[in-house]
Amino acid sequence: MSEHHITPLKTYLIIAASLLFLSGVTVWVSYIDLGSFNIVLAMFVATVKASLVAFFFMHLLWDDKKNLTMFLMSLMFFGIFVTITMLDTGFRGDLGLNPETKDPINKRAAFYDTLPLTDTHGHPVDEHSDEHHEDKDHH
Amino acid sequence: MGHHNPDSPSHLKHYFHDVNQQYETSKFAMWAFILTEVLTFAGLFVAYIVYRSWYPDMFVDAHKLLDVNKGLMNTIVLITSSLTMALAIWAIQKNNKKLSVVMLVATFIFALVFLGIKYLEYTHKFEVGQLPGEFYSYMGPDAAHLNNPHIFFSIYFIMTGLHGLHVAIGMGLIAWLIYSTQKGNLTSEYYTPMEMIGIFWHLVDLIWIYLFPLFYLIG
Repeated sequence: MSEHHITPLKTYLIIAASLLFLSGVTVWVSYIDLGSFNIVLAMFVATVKASLVAFFFMHLLWDDKKNLTMFLMSLMFFGIFVTITMLDTGFRGDLGLNPETKDPINKRAAFYDTLPLTDTHGHPVDEHSDEHHEDKDHH
Repeated sequence: MGHHNPDSPSHLKHYFHDVNQQYETSKFAMWAFILTEVLTFAGLFVAYIVYRSWYPDMFVDAHKLLDVNKGLMNTIVLITSSLTMALAIWAIQKNNKKLSVVMLVATFIFALVFLGIKYLEYTHKFEVGQLPGEFYSYMGPDAAHLNNPHIFFSIYFIMTGLHGLHVAIGMGLIAWLIYSTQKGNLTSEYYTPMEMIGIFWHLVDLIWIYLFPLFYLIG
């Protein structure tokens, strides 16, 4: 199989060093408060790292492009999966239609025995106001 | 016609035209398997995205219960193991059997270290009750104000658990590679299994690259 591409040792070492460096960067920036930009930056760095692994360690750069196509297709389907799911869950709003955002999902969880119910911001939940809300919707 | 050429290598199956076609077919099939792996984890990533968008504050607070140092240590261990795996393939391509076996053993040891660190994390969480779903019982001062932290830990345990299972399966495959390479079954002429298991091992690294910031480094 002498026709196979043999990646130079130097390439592997540079890629590994870059991956370790970027891991340090991603930890470092996580301690800086950038608001919602933190997650964007973290995912960007992760995607750069993932690309280095896929193209160099997994040899996709030198492979027949059908392998890269297969891999990108999996990411495309993941994108469809996320988008369509979020079109539902992201737009249910706070109409009392989504009990999960107001009440604990699993009331049998041991720690709820001693904790008052709170909403996502830690404010106590008044269950009567919920019922009132629903009544208003129905009539 | 599929007749066996007396000069063709013993590892060439009769239904392939030549060794290169056989190699490319194996590799394409491996990438089809990688696609199913990505989609398996995709379901869990979607669960993460949906619940994080429902409970943004809870995710930020609950992630502080995880140990960033252990997570970073595991990231370094896994990246290094990915390098040694790549070098094992590089060595066998150069027909350096001894170096290849050394690199495979190193990969195996790094995988063991990864699972060891994960074991320390898990046992600590079991002791204090930071567990999934109804098993969650942690009431420490840093968690008293949390709403639904058991959801965070459900997703944490399922995702890192499935990932850990992949590490364990990878270790079994690498152990088999060490045996086969040492025995001389894999050479620069035929190292397809090592290339395939290498792709699998790098996928394990690739998934951890996302799990680490998503669980340990939120906001």
